[in-house]
Amino acid sequence: MRERGVARWVIAVPMLLLALATVYPMLFTLNVAMKSRREYVLDRFAPAEHVSFANFAEAWNSSGLGRYTLNSVIVTAGAVALLLLLGSMAGFAFSQLNFRGRKSLFLLCLGALMIPFQVIMVPFFRVLGQAGLLDTHLGLVLAYTGQFLPFTIFLMTSFYARVPQEVIEAARVDGSSTLGIYRRIMVPIGRPALLSVGILNALFCWNDVLISLLVLQSERNRTLMVGVTALRGQYSDNIPLFAGGVLVAVFPVILVYLFFQRQITDGVTAGATKG
Amino acid sequence: MTSQAVAAPRRATAVRRFRIAEHKLAPWILLAPSVLVIVALRVIPLFLGAQYSLTGDGERNGVFVGLDNYRALLHDRVFGIALKNVGLLFLALPVAVAIPGILATFLFLKVPGHRFYRSVYFFPVVLSPVIIGAIFNILLSFDGPVNQLLGRAGLGPVDWLGNGKVAIFSVIAVHIWATFGMALVIFLAGFATLDQSLLDAARCDGANLAQTVRHVVIPELSRTIQFVFVTTMIGLLTGMFGLLYVMTAGGPGGATYLPELYIWITQGQMNSPALASAASMVLFVLMLFVGFAQLRLIKRATKEA
Repeated sequence: MRERGVARWVIAVPMLLLALATVYPMLFTLNVAMKSRREYVLDRFAPAEHVSFANFAEAWNSSGLGRYTLNSVIVTAGAVALLLLLGSMAGFAFSQLNFRGRKSLFLLCLGALMIPFQVIMVPFFRVLGQAGLLDTHLGLVLAYTGQFLPFTIFLMTSFYARVPQEVIEAARVDGSSTLGIYRRIMVPIGRPALLSVGILNALFCWNDVLISLLVLQSERNRTLMVGVTALRGQYSDNIPLFAGGVLVAVFPVILVYLFFQRQITDGVTAGATKG
Repeated sequence: MTSQAVAAPRRATAVRRFRIAEHKLAPWILLAPSVLVIVALRVIPLFLGAQYSLTGDGERNGVFVGLDNYRALLHDRVFGIALKNVGLLFLALPVAVAIPGILATFLFLKVPGHRFYRSVYFFPVVLSPVIIGAIFNILLSFDGPVNQLLGRAGLGPVDWLGNGKVAIFSVIAVHIWATFGMALVIFLAGFATLDQSLLDAARCDGANLAQTVRHVVIPELSRTIQFVFVTTMIGLLTGMFGLLYVMTAGGPGGATYLPELYIWITQGQMNSPALASAASMVLFVLMLFVGFAQLRLIKRATKEA
């Protein structure tokens, strides 16, 4: 079905243009962040006179981004750890164990996928307030766990369904208990899936702004993405500095993407093809 | 010595009994935390929200008011704009599905550099809407680079984010720009399951590209296409808060409101949680409407599990 000659170019040119349109905004912003304010005002597109990281450093130092980054790391790590633990336990039970009520419980977990956070936002805010968890990192960790757990269970269940029953039967014959099988077999065997699902969840938590804005109110507890929304007002008259702050916040995500691209797309497509 | 001989089998039955008990209990121990989290943090809030939506705000806080909040929504100009914009989302949906669909077809045909394209196209998906919103704030500002380019081409500047008629289209376009890579990899995963012999047969019969796509690819991928339609629409309905918050904050004049932003502002700034709950229920019904197809897909998945 290979098309020849002209047809090839008709395909190749738009694809190249679209690829350019996909990366150019990032490259443009990078160039802006290297410029001085004067350079930017004079010409938006001209390459920066020299490679300078002064704007990154200044944005980092003057806007509390360091503190926000630490907050994001704490909350993301907590939520991912909890999600992987609960998700793998539930995934093992749903995929490999027989018990009454399995199907209805699985349907409950998957049905929760269809409740977006916006729909439960108001009562969630009240309940968290009554529990004294508003404006705490623990409150945000719980919020993220509730938000992303159905998806995590779904992925872990479809992954563990591929583990042959014989493996579990053999362990039982050797005298292993069910919880022992979880700890000694399912956790080690699930490492690739846990990595993939963990990275995906880490991105979700790191990138979120809606839930974080709702749960955390004080400035010192803020996560990084909420901090970035505040940069806009702070640096409205200095676009290069604003660009520097934005890129500082996106740097960890770029690193994760470069190293774990396959795991990310695997996780995303596992959810899609199984569904 | 004799006592030891008796004790051994007795211990063995005790262990076996423990095993059986553990075997029965284990699924519940494994599932209890997850079920607790999902019920407490998703299911109960959903019911609480439905209940709040029937009570009053402010002075009538907690008082049962029937459908008053829903009536108030009907007469709220901003909520009306939000719903009208949902209509625009439905119009944007075919575009948001067609772009990744066509690209995936090309990538599947293994154009040179297909791996590179795949990575590049997917990249914006991992970025936070806040980051994307900030970048496009720079690009689309009135004295920004996009307008400067237009100026050089002799076209007047467009107020991308400040003109009420244009702004919502700008934000939707940026959302599509940011998320088409997601649908692309889902399409590619669908293509990977495509039966190669069908394609070979089409080629033997002398089918051209368009015919192959129409008679082989589309029917074979119908499940994937359906899935992408549903997830893309859900993304449009519930994934644009970050962009709206950063790029327009609902302005100008409420022109870029969507239900999710309306809920946020009504709960937070307007301090009307009951009215916000009613709007939440409207969004939920919209979601159910869209998710009906998804429910069918989920049912299929539970049969397999």
